[in-house]
Amino acid sequence: MEFPRHHKEIVNDLMGGKFILATDQKFISLKDHAAFYEKFFKESFGYELELKTDYGFILSYETGEQLSRDICLFFAILCYELDKDGKNFLEEIQYAEFEHEKIDEYFENSSYAELILNNNQLKSGESRRDFIRTMSRRNITERNGDARFSFTPAYKVFIDFAADFAKGKVTQENTEL
Amino acid sequence: MIKAEPKTILNFLANYYDSLKEIFDLQKEFGHIRKERLQAIFDERNEHILQQLIDYKIIRKLGDDFEFRDTYFKLFEFILNEFRPLLPETIQKYERSIGTLFKKIRDGIHGDKLILGQRINDLHGEVKEFSEAVEKNTIRLLAETRELKSNVDKLDYKEKVRKASFWIDYYITPLNNILDINHAESITNKLFDISNYVNVRRLNFDDETLRLQFEKVYVFLVQTNDDLLKQAKLLTNELLPLIERIRTESIILTGWIEFLKAPYKAPLPKIFKVERQYPYSNDMYLNAKEYVQQFGKDETIILEDPQASSDKWVFNKDLYKEKMIQQLPLESFFDWCGLTLKTDYQTIETDKLFALTALLFEDGISIEVDTNKERSLIKTSQMVLRVPKIKINRYGIS
Repeated sequence: MEFPRHHKEIVNDLMGGKFILATDQKFISLKDHAAFYEKFFKESFGYELELKTDYGFILSYETGEQLSRDICLFFAILCYELDKDGKNFLEEIQYAEFEHEKIDEYFENSSYAELILNNNQLKSGESRRDFIRTMSRRNITERNGDARFSFTPAYKVFIDFAADFAKGKVTQENTEL
Repeated sequence: MIKAEPKTILNFLANYYDSLKEIFDLQKEFGHIRKERLQAIFDERNEHILQQLIDYKIIRKLGDDFEFRDTYFKLFEFILNEFRPLLPETIQKYERSIGTLFKKIRDGIHGDKLILGQRINDLHGEVKEFSEAVEKNTIRLLAETRELKSNVDKLDYKEKVRKASFWIDYYITPLNNILDINHAESITNKLFDISNYVNVRRLNFDDETLRLQFEKVYVFLVQTNDDLLKQAKLLTNELLPLIERIRTESIILTGWIEFLKAPYKAPLPKIFKVERQYPYSNDMYLNAKEYVQQFGKDETIILEDPQASSDKWVFNKDLYKEKMIQQLPLESFFDWCGLTLKTDYQTIETDKLFALTALLFEDGISIEVDTNKERSLIKTSQMVLRVPKIKINRYGIS
């Protein structure tokens, strides 16, 4: 039986919780054989394959809630602080390169200090660096040397979540009225 | 006086929290609680707790209506992190009280020590109240301004600017003046002077009790100054530029602001949870290393024979001999043994009882046994012994 190109790496990456990005050559193979992989993950493990235009990942019935919450907190505070700093936060997340030092400055001066200090992944410069490494292992961020990083298109999962969350809130408010 | 036990009141607060929260909301919104609204809350939940609310001094009657008592109102504000904003002129009153107390402390520094101590305590209390009032106001102002930025209510830009101007003019700018260290009349500046004065007194005041009180106030003032500096920073960075900040709006930011209100209760985007660990996976080395580091603690382990650690009773003949001699004459030696062991060890053990019989062979006592007399029973933890009645007297004295 013949398997698609990069089959082993695709399975390893996705099963390791990684996002496969469009810039990765494996992505073409994944996209070209989307129907096969959808069936493969569903039949073998009961997982769903989510394939978007510029990234793909799999979902299990049980999800990594803790990590997901920490990532959301990270994005939420970063977007809030970027906006406060007078920046277009979406453009920054899409295109900019971030310095760890600048991130430290945002988090240390944030009015969400209580939330930050109560979160083990975000509470100090050191823990935030570790956390960004964790996100890199999942291909959500890309490390550019030791001092800088940028976001990969996987950021959209979280930004879309925020927009949906807001829509839910707005509908809820209007219904209450 | 409240008749109920404190625990009963706390249980009551927990059991009827939902109703109490609604009553608190009414008080917050209208400044009092209409009796019809209160009745509606009770009827909705079929809870008849009016009398308890009054008995426990949670609410009080105000004409026909009711009001939430301040102590409980503050408790609810605190646990819900929802504070009513104080007008800066209300906060300003602390400037006067702190200023007066400080002046009296300075003028009466060589006066009555008791009253000086009391003034130092009061100053501590006033500064604490002031700093808490500022913190509560900042929390409330942050919540209000985030609400404006999030704009879930879909206010138009004009309305947003109107609201923002209101907060800035009446709350944010005056509060900033109170906290601004560059402002000569600010309370922060006054606190700075006080902490300098207290710093000198805590080092050279001749009375030790007062010196310690100065020390306590000094530590507190240093911490308060740090806290106030943080609040002032929030005001200048986040609240004063409010008009500028509400110019932009984004559904994404609305989502994040709403999410940050209760991130531990909110739904989350799904991401894959890695469960399986294959020996050939790339992370295996790091995971194994972490595991070994966590459990591979290099501690010295000493194995001991468990019997060795158990207490071995050593008969202290001299001690018991002395005890026996003090209580002579004894009517029944074995009864005395039983009583002594029971007093010392709660139980009578056969080994110990037998050890005590060695006392019979000591010098300085005389023994009398009537073999015809009935034997008595002594119950040890292991057995029941039938023993003769042995009389003991001091040697030479009958």
